[in-house]
Amino acid sequence: MELIVKGHSGYQIDIVREGNDLYVYKRCSDADKATRLMRQAAKQEQATTHRHTGFQTPHILAAEQNGDNASIKMEYIYSRNFMEYFESAGFEQIDYFIHTLIRYIEEELALSPLQTIDTRIVTDKFSSVEKTVNTNPHIRKDERLANIMEKSKRLLTGINEWKMPIGICHGDLTFSNILFTANTYYLIDFLDSFIESPLLDIVKLRQDSAHIWSAKLYTKPYDPIRLGIICQKIDSELDTYFQRYDWYKGYYRPLQVLNLLRVLQYAKEDAIIDDLETEISKLLYAI
Amino acid sequence: MPFNLIVPIASYKSEYLHSLPAVFIKGEDGLMPCIKAVLSLDFTLFDHIFFTILRIMEEKHHLCALLKEQFHEIGLAKAEIIILDNPTLSQPETIYQTILQANIKGSIFIKDADCSFCGEILPQNGVVIYPLESLKWVNPQNKSYVAVDDHFYVTNIIEKKIISHYFLAGGYCFEDLDLYCRYYQRFAGQKGLYLSHIIYSMLLDKYSFRPILATEYTDFETLVQL
Repeated sequence: MELIVKGHSGYQIDIVREGNDLYVYKRCSDADKATRLMRQAAKQEQATTHRHTGFQTPHILAAEQNGDNASIKMEYIYSRNFMEYFESAGFEQIDYFIHTLIRYIEEELALSPLQTIDTRIVTDKFSSVEKTVNTNPHIRKDERLANIMEKSKRLLTGINEWKMPIGICHGDLTFSNILFTANTYYLIDFLDSFIESPLLDIVKLRQDSAHIWSAKLYTKPYDPIRLGIICQKIDSELDTYFQRYDWYKGYYRPLQVLNLLRVLQYAKEDAIIDDLETEISKLLYAI
Repeated sequence: MPFNLIVPIASYKSEYLHSLPAVFIKGEDGLMPCIKAVLSLDFTLFDHIFFTILRIMEEKHHLCALLKEQFHEIGLAKAEIIILDNPTLSQPETIYQTILQANIKGSIFIKDADCSFCGEILPQNGVVIYPLESLKWVNPQNKSYVAVDDHFYVTNIIEKKIISHYFLAGGYCFEDLDLYCRYYQRFAGQKGLYLSHIIYSMLLDKYSFRPILATEYTDFETLVQL
């Protein structure tokens, strides 16, 4: 039996029964995507060797690349997505989830010593994003965008020293990459990050808790007020907790601006573009 | 600390301009459902009892006179009518506007007008619940559900999603009105806001709510449908 699941990442995802067990196959036939998928599989399998309290990772059982084609096979996890989980979670479950997220980041921090990174890593990333934004035909090149790009550039190039924990991170730690089971949470879809820092995981988490990003891709009906209540709670707890670190206080907002610009550069729908520009503006004017 | 009862009957639909809403239509016993909704409560608990209606409904149907006649018949001397000038977006807003207009202080018990129950009401955070399996006829879609833990604390409350065999039986108690108003203000102006959202938000911030287990629950809407 084979079930095709629609994903947002451009990969084909099939759930296949083999004997009594279910497996997930993720495939693509594009050179760039194939390379990324192989790196993702390696990072995910590597993550299974780190013991995290409260989070597990599905095992990668096979990964192969043949030219432009690549596929990975991993264990299937009987689970619910974040929206279904939040829609029925009691306050004590949300509380536990928040504390598990904080513990996860703390465990990453224990493996990530403070280091000063080359400022060009950030400025080069911004330059590359700026180029892609300027060539994206769906984005209106108006005054608002010009202001956003100008202010963002000033913000990111104005920081002379980027000193933050460097070591490990998930790379795309959004709510949609967390599977919720009755007993634990599973992390999927690991990604290489341009800075391998737990701070980048906080940025991705708050992309969802502060900017409600994953909900925009959710296609089934849901209660937006309840989701807003839960996200606001998660966001304020994360923000309050990590305020104890200077690197968080200093770099969270600039890196969130850069993160949302990275999303914006590939956006195609007017509503999404408008929303992203609004969220980036809010961050820029809050600084 | 004053303890007040609020019965919000200020929902608005265009058909109400031509016909009286069901909660105001007298039954064979001569009583309106919105009055029957409070009859099983112990009135001595409350300092004031507020029925909140809309001005447009008062102008079309003379509800004040109808309600005052009912108060007189059942000897409800503490009852007052609050008239809101404009329809609200939600029940929590109706409650909020009632609090402001009547300058209510202390604790409140909010009673829906479309059902009745018996239960032990105290001026502390709580919601009235009733077990689904105790009803012979039920429309599960129009109910909200409440999860409670082993020691009878509310852990979850949600609209129209069956997460528990207890459903919300039309009664809500807020110990601290100022706190209610602060939480309401967070959501002011949002359509689709329910009291359950405000309670869930308070639960997440560690405010405890106790369930009040109802007895003799009657859903007037289901009675009409039958």
